Amino acid sequence: METAAIYTHGLTRRFGALTAVDDVTLSVAPGQFLGFLGPNGAGKSTTIKMLTGLLEPSAGTIEILGRPFGAGALDLKRQIGVVPEGMALLGRLTAPEYLRFVGRMYGLGAEVAKRRTEELLEFMQLANESRKLVTDFSHGMQKKLALAAAVIHGPKVLFLDEPFEGVDAIAAGQLKAMLQGMINRGATIFLTTHVLEIVERLCSHVAIISRGRLVANGSIEELRLGVASALPGAEMEQRLTLEEIFLEIVGAGGRQEPAQELSWLA
Amino acid sequence: MARLDGSGLNGSEMPFTEMAGAGPLGTLARAQYGALARLRWHMFTNGLRSSKGTFELGARILVYFLYAVLGLGLGLGMSAGAYAIALNQAWEYLPILFWVAFLIWQMIPIMLASFQEQFDLGSILRFPVSFGSFFLLYLVFGLVDISTICGACCCFGIWSGISVARPELLGWTALGLAVFAVFNILLVRAIFAWIDRWLSQRKTREILAAVFLVIALCLQLLNPALYRSSHGKRPSRDEQAETYRKMGGDITPWLKTANAVQEWLPPGLAARALTQAAKTQLAPAWGSIGVLGLYLLAAGGVLAARLRAEYRGENLGYAPRRNKASPRRRRVSSPKEIAVRVGNPGWFLDGSGPIAAVMEKELRTLMRSIPQLYVLGAPLLMVFIFGALFRSSASGGHMFALALPLSMAYAMLGFTQLFSNNLGHEGAGIQVIFLSPTPIRTVFLAKNLFHAFLLCLDVLLAGILVSLRLGRQDGAELTATIAWLLFALPVNLAVGNVFSLTMPYRVNPGRLTRQRGSQGNALLSLLVQLGVLGVGAVVFGLCGYLRNLWLATPIFLVLAAGAVSAWMRVLRNTDGMANRRRDSLIETLVKAD
Repeated sequence: METAAIYTHGLTRRFGALTAVDDVTLSVAPGQFLGFLGPNGAGKSTTIKMLTGLLEPSAGTIEILGRPFGAGALDLKRQIGVVPEGMALLGRLTAPEYLRFVGRMYGLGAEVAKRRTEELLEFMQLANESRKLVTDFSHGMQKKLALAAAVIHGPKVLFLDEPFEGVDAIAAGQLKAMLQGMINRGATIFLTTHVLEIVERLCSHVAIISRGRLVANGSIEELRLGVASALPGAEMEQRLTLEEIFLEIVGAGGRQEPAQELSWLA
Repeated sequence: MARLDGSGLNGSEMPFTEMAGAGPLGTLARAQYGALARLRWHMFTNGLRSSKGTFELGARILVYFLYAVLGLGLGLGMSAGAYAIALNQAWEYLPILFWVAFLIWQMIPIMLASFQEQFDLGSILRFPVSFGSFFLLYLVFGLVDISTICGACCCFGIWSGISVARPELLGWTALGLAVFAVFNILLVRAIFAWIDRWLSQRKTREILAAVFLVIALCLQLLNPALYRSSHGKRPSRDEQAETYRKMGGDITPWLKTANAVQEWLPPGLAARALTQAAKTQLAPAWGSIGVLGLYLLAAGGVLAARLRAEYRGENLGYAPRRNKASPRRRRVSSPKEIAVRVGNPGWFLDGSGPIAAVMEKELRTLMRSIPQLYVLGAPLLMVFIFGALFRSSASGGHMFALALPLSMAYAMLGFTQLFSNNLGHEGAGIQVIFLSPTPIRTVFLAKNLFHAFLLCLDVLLAGILVSLRLGRQDGAELTATIAWLLFALPVNLAVGNVFSLTMPYRVNPGRLTRQRGSQGNALLSLLVQLGVLGVGAVVFGLCGYLRNLWLATPIFLVLAAGAVSAWMRVLRNTDGMANRRRDSLIETLVKAD
């Protein structure tokens, strides 16, 4: 049996009385592009923080590339790249300075870090902004820089928390092509986003978390079949979009009426 | 279920269209003040839910207690001075009290920039707040500053002293001091608002740096001019008396001119108004108050001009800069072309892995943070300026024995924030430290080495400045001071590492004022500094008593060995501590904005 690139068993995180992530068991095969979906506050970012060592689980285990993972697993950290929720940028550095700093923190030699920095900045169309401080970048430019920093050391597993938010359509297309290229070369990508079209276009598999619990996991086709089989005949015949699948699974279903009408709004 | 049909919001309860535009004291403004007060109350009570919040409250109470003690001491001194002046009709000395109060008011924020926490009101601008309300709130939130507390105590002291000695002057004193106090409040706020603005722009930053250097050079040139005879050897009592007599003759005309000028400056005007009132020259007294009022309006205008820009949406943290329009390249560039366009920022410390990377990052960040450079450099300037205080004519021209260690200790004060909150500048970048395979202790080691290097540079400069002011230092004193530093540095690093992990707060490197902070961190780091100073004072005092200053060196070296051991122990435990607290560290440093 092939070793999973990402594996969690009974992963749980509690904040006082609140259980943000509840007993999540998940396996992501090498080379898989997984879309990790859920409504706001479902536990997506908490899960990704635990998977990347930014947050300690209350219970459960995590394995990355077949080895136990935690904050102290430094060798494994070399194998993963992350675009976290807050982007992890250093505002008072320029983009080349920041990328070289990150490269050296991951143990790259100075020459390798320099070369990759140049290539990444050119790819991300940031080469002309190399004298500007990161704090002066637009949100989209910061996202691109954060993504460049996440891949500079050539990770085998990539965790992306809303990587396309604020990125223009041209750059988004290039980034998607880059991510697809990584998948083709055997990398594993764990992506959280609210843009379901991106997940539908890029991801081979989807996991859905709701109120801290994993409520669905499988290929998009498997989820589609599963949801369709539970629907009345007329709806079953239609090919469901990922948005419809998602809404069915998390229980919104699109059929609920608003509980109250805000009649005072224009 | 409750139904939001709008009857409560759009009906008679909230006719906001009628409330708007009523100025800083209108209905809407008052509702907003109430909402802000409630917000602060909720933030306060919600903060108490965590043990950190409760600790912060305790620290805040203690800090304000210390401020109150300081203010009370100043107030009592001022009261006694004013009482003596009023009783003896020695009104010519009254300006001295006002100038002292003025300097305390304006200098404290500069000297204690590391320990102050202020509320940034920029976040309320998204609401329909009028400029008048914004201005008023800016002033009100500044009333709990240590400078205002101490300045107000000084004013109260002067008022009570004069009123007890001359009850008929009670009203005049109150009026003059009230105008003087409002002027000071406006001025200190205006100065810092403008400093923040100037430091945020490259051009004005460079001008300020140049002015700073010119002042330092002027002082440097003044030194040999004023103390020509004292360089290289200690002057005898006769030589010193002769020097002072000559200096007195030289500066008397200058002092007369200075006195004539100061009468037209705010402290002098306030003192003159009271003097004239005491001599029942009421019309001139009203005139002096009027001119003081003009100063008040000018300070208010300067502050308003700055706040108006902020009100219109200027954000100093992201000061706009002109970018040359660069056409987006479509064609594929060669690696050489890319390298040229990306540019090479150069490596200060090449090829030694994460330690060099962190040190280089720290250096680049520091060089781009003028406020931080100012905090590090200001004590040096103070050492230079106040170096003359150590000259003691009472000891026959011999320099004050503790001039060097005290100057070093003061120079170290500028490092307090850097030591005790060494993750504060990381912001969201803290996540890189946790995500990368570099152990946290390596990062802390690099930061500690960098800070130690900076401190060495700073104390070296302080030592040179003290030598320039006071001549060559005594060997035993110099050796003991170095040994004390070897003890003080690792203590500060060890404790600072612990504080940085347990009580961090985010620092905006572009601002000198209106920083968020942690009272707990500020208070404890100040106590540690006092402790280190106290140990130094006890050892120096003991050895001075035994008339053998050489004895201090081995004592400090033994203490230093213990301190280094403690620092290494803390460093070894850094990974565990950081990983246990990584959630709150990231939350504090990433989400503080």
